[in-house]
Amino acid sequence: MTIRSHLYRIAFLVPMGFALAGSLAIGAAARADVPAGYPADYQKIIDAAKQEGKVVVYSTTDAAQVSPVVKAFEAKYPGVTVEYNDLNSTELYNRFIAEVAAGAGTGDVLWSSAMDLQVKLVADGNALTYASAEKASLPKWADWRDQAYGTTAEPLAIVYNKRLVPAADVPKSHADLLKLLQTKPQDYTGKITAYDPERSGVGFLQLTQDVAAWPQAWDLFRAFGKTQIKLYTSVGAMLERVGSGEHLIAYDIFGSYAIAREKKDPSIGWVLPNDYTLVTSRVAFISAKAKAPNAAKLFLDFLLSKDGQTILANQADLHAVRDDVEGVATAKGTAALVGDKARPVAIDESLLNNLKPIERLAFLKKWKAAMQGQ
Amino acid sequence: MAAADWTTAPSAGLGVAFLRVPAIGIAMVLVLCPILLVVYQSFLSDPFFTPSAQFTLDAYRFVLEDPDFWRALWTTLALAAGMTVIAVCIGTVLAFIMVRTDVPGRSFLEILLLVPIFTSAVVLAFGYVVAAGPVGIVSTWVKDVIGVVPWDIYSLPSLIVIAGLTHVPHVYLYTAAGLRGIGSDVEEAARIAGASPFRVALAVSLPMVRPSIAFASVLVFFLGFELFGLPLVLGDPAQRLVLTTYLYKLTNILGTPSYQLMAAVVVVIILIAAPLVALQRRLLRDAGRYVSMRGKGVRIEPLRLGASRWLALGVILLWALVTVVVPIGGILLRSFVVSWGEGVHLLDVLTLQHYRELLDYPNIVRGILNTLGVGVIGGAAAVACYTALALAVHRWQSKWVRVVDYLALAPRAMPGIVAGLAILWIFLFVKPLTPLRQTMFSVWLAYAVVWLAYGMRLVQGTLLQIGPELEEAARTTGASDLRVKRDVTLPLVRNGMLAAWLLIFLIFVREYSTGVYLLGPGTEVIGSLLVSLWGTGAVDLVSALSVVNVALIGLGLAVALRLGIRLHA
Repeated sequence: MTIRSHLYRIAFLVPMGFALAGSLAIGAAARADVPAGYPADYQKIIDAAKQEGKVVVYSTTDAAQVSPVVKAFEAKYPGVTVEYNDLNSTELYNRFIAEVAAGAGTGDVLWSSAMDLQVKLVADGNALTYASAEKASLPKWADWRDQAYGTTAEPLAIVYNKRLVPAADVPKSHADLLKLLQTKPQDYTGKITAYDPERSGVGFLQLTQDVAAWPQAWDLFRAFGKTQIKLYTSVGAMLERVGSGEHLIAYDIFGSYAIAREKKDPSIGWVLPNDYTLVTSRVAFISAKAKAPNAAKLFLDFLLSKDGQTILANQADLHAVRDDVEGVATAKGTAALVGDKARPVAIDESLLNNLKPIERLAFLKKWKAAMQGQ
Repeated sequence: MAAADWTTAPSAGLGVAFLRVPAIGIAMVLVLCPILLVVYQSFLSDPFFTPSAQFTLDAYRFVLEDPDFWRALWTTLALAAGMTVIAVCIGTVLAFIMVRTDVPGRSFLEILLLVPIFTSAVVLAFGYVVAAGPVGIVSTWVKDVIGVVPWDIYSLPSLIVIAGLTHVPHVYLYTAAGLRGIGSDVEEAARIAGASPFRVALAVSLPMVRPSIAFASVLVFFLGFELFGLPLVLGDPAQRLVLTTYLYKLTNILGTPSYQLMAAVVVVIILIAAPLVALQRRLLRDAGRYVSMRGKGVRIEPLRLGASRWLALGVILLWALVTVVVPIGGILLRSFVVSWGEGVHLLDVLTLQHYRELLDYPNIVRGILNTLGVGVIGGAAAVACYTALALAVHRWQSKWVRVVDYLALAPRAMPGIVAGLAILWIFLFVKPLTPLRQTMFSVWLAYAVVWLAYGMRLVQGTLLQIGPELEEAARTTGASDLRVKRDVTLPLVRNGMLAAWLLIFLIFVREYSTGVYLLGPGTEVIGSLLVSLWGTGAVDLVSALSVVNVALIGLGLAVALRLGIRLHA
C-alpha cells in the first residue's frame, strides 16, 4: 500500500476510534449520572433537566452559605445551572404570588425558612406533587403530601453571654429559664431578648409552638414581660447585643446561627433546652408552574440526598434533616444533645391557623397583656 | 414680575411645547402609575390581583383604629420636624462656611461632609450602637471618667439629633449649589458696612438662597417620613415605632403581608405631604427676589475670615466628629474585632479575619461594579431627565406647574417597603414593560422615578436664580425658545446639574429597597449584599463591607473632585 492509503486509513480510523471511545465514555458518564439507589427511569428526568438547562431557585438561605451545595449540584449534573435568588421570606412570598398572578416567569424551587407561609403557598395549590427519590430516607414529618419537604432540622437554642452570665445561672431548660427570671429578676431586667411576634413571622411561629409544647409557656412569657424583655426582628441585632453584654440571654435562636456565631465570638455560648427542643425546618417545594420542573426535581432531590445534606451540615452550617449524616449540625447531633426531647414542628395544615387574622390577633393580644406582666 | 411675563408671551413658539409636553407627560405617567396602584389597593380587601378582592374601607378602619399607628404618626412628625430644624440650621451655616469663606482644607472637608449620604442607614445606626450604645466604646470611656453615661442612644431626642446631623449633607448640597451663583458684591458691601462674617451669612447670603433652603427643608422633612434604618436599629429596643417601622410591622402582623393596610398608611402620608408642598410654593411666591444671576458679570471672591477661620474649621470638624467619626469609627472597629462590649479588652480581640472572609464572598466585585455603574451612568441619565423636566416647567405660567410640583414628590412619599412592591407590580402587570423587568434598566427607572423630586429641585433652585434679562437678550437677537434654553439657560444651571448628579450618584449607590424585587443574580448591588449579610446575622461582614464601601466611594469622590468635576463655575 502507498503512503497515501496509509494516511487515509489513519485519517479514517483515528477519529472513529476517538468517537467510539468518546461515546463509550459519555455513555458511561450518562449511566453514572443516575445516583445509586434511584429508580432507573430517573435518567429521563436528568435528560429533560439538561434540555431545560437552568433551575431558578428562590430562597431565604444566604447565597454565600449555600454556595458549596450549589457548586456540588452543578458539578454532579453538568448542563444544569442554578440561578439562585437570595430573598427574605416576605420578599419571596410577595414576589412569588405576584409573578404567579401575572403569569410571568417565577421560581422553580421555593425554599424558605418561613414554614407557615410555605405551607400556605402549598395549600393554595402552588406546589407540584412529586415523590422525591430520597423520600424513604427522610423522617415522616419532613414530607407533606409529597408537595412540601423539610430540608433541614434546626433546633432552637438559648444563647447566652459566657463572660457575664455565671455558670450556675445558665438555663438548661425552659423551666430553668422561668425559675431564673422569677428568682433573680434584678440581674436580668432588660437583659433578655427574643424575636418580636408582632413584627416577625418567625417569632410568632416559635412562640405559638412553645405554647403548644409546654403548659407553662404563658408563665414564661409573663416573666419575660416582668423583666422587660427586648424584642427584635433580626437575629444579627440580638446576637450582637448578647455578645457585647448589652443583653445577656437570647431566647429561641436558630441553632445554626448560634453554632456559626460561637465559632467566631468566644463570648457566645448556647444550650439546647432539655425539657423540649423545638426543631424548625426550611421547607422547599417545586412550583406547579415551574418552567424547569425536571431541573427542579433534580435540585430538590440533591438537597435531600446524603451528599447534599452532608454539605449542608458541614459546610453551610445548616442542620441536616437526615438521620444518616454525621456532624454537629445534624439531626444526629441534636439527638446526641437532647435525645428524644427534640420536637419537630409539623409541616401541615395546623400551621395555617397562624395565618388566620382572628386567631393571630387574639394571640398577640394575650401576648401584649403578658408583656405587661398580666 | 412683568419681566418674567414678557418671556412667556403667546408668541412662545412650538419649540418649547415639543419639549414640554412629552417631558411632563412621560414624567407624570411614570409618577402616577405606582401611586394610583397603591391608592387603588388601599380600598380592596385582598391583593389587587386576587380574584376575590372586593371594595372595602376595612383597611382604613384597621389603621385609623390602631393606637400604634397614631403613636407612630406623632413620633414621625416629631422626628421629621426636629431633624429638619437641626439639619437646616447646621447645613446652611456649613454651606456658607465652605462656599463663601476661605476656610482651610475645603477639598478634604467636602468629602467628609458627604459621607453620611452614601453610608447605609442601618450600618450608620449600628456604628452608633457600637460606639455610643449602652456598652459602646465611647460610653465605657465616659463612664470610666465621670461614672455615668449621660446619654441614652435609644431615646427619641437621640434619634432626632442623629437623624438631623446625618441629613446635614442634603441641606448643604442644596444651599451650596445656590450660594455658588451669587456674586460677592453684596457681601462685600455688608462687610464694609461693618457686619461680622456670621451676620453677613445670616442677613445677606443665606436669605438670597431662600429657594434652595426652602426646597431643602421640605425634602429633608420628607426624608424624615422615609427614614427606616435609623429608627429600626435605634428604636427597636425602646419599642418606638415610626411610620416606616409601623409599615414593617403591618407586613407581618397578620401573617401574610397585608397590602391594603400598607397602602392605607401610604395614602395618609401622601395626604400629609400635600400641605407641605403648598407651604413650599407659598414660600417661593416672590421668586423674583432671589434672582442673582444677572446680565452683569459677577465676581466671586471668598470672604476673608481672619482669625475666625479656625473657629469655622472647628465647627465643621465638630459636626464631622459626631456625625462621621463616631459611627464610622464604630463600624471600623467592629470590622476588626471578633467581640466587643462590656468586659472585652479590645487589644485582645483584633483580627483581619472578617476582611478575609469578605474576599471569599461571592459576587462582591460584581456587586460593587453594578453599584458604581448605576450611580455614575444611571445618575447622569437621571439628571439629564430631571433637567429636561425642570426646564420644561421653567417660566411656564400655567396651573399645570402646580400639578407637577405636587406630583413630583408623590413617589418619595411612599416608604421604600411599599415603593419596591409597587414597582414590582407595575413591571409585572403592565405588559409592555414586562420584558424589561429583569434588567438594570428597570432598576434605574425605579430609582429615577422615586428620587425625581430631589434631583429636579436641585436644578430648579439654580434656575430660580437666573435673571430673565439674560434670556430676553438672547430672544432679542432672534433665538428661538428652544435655542434660548439650550444655549443660555442650560449652561447657567450647570452648577445645579452637577450638584444634582453628585447627590443622585450618592443616593443611587446607597439605594436598595426600591429595587429589591427587580434585583437578581447578576444585578445585585452593595445595598442588597449588605441586607443579605445582615439577614444572616453576620454583622462583622456587614461592617467590613461597609468600610470597603465608604472607602471606595470616598476615594472615587476625591478623585472626581480633584479631576475637575468642580461644583462651582
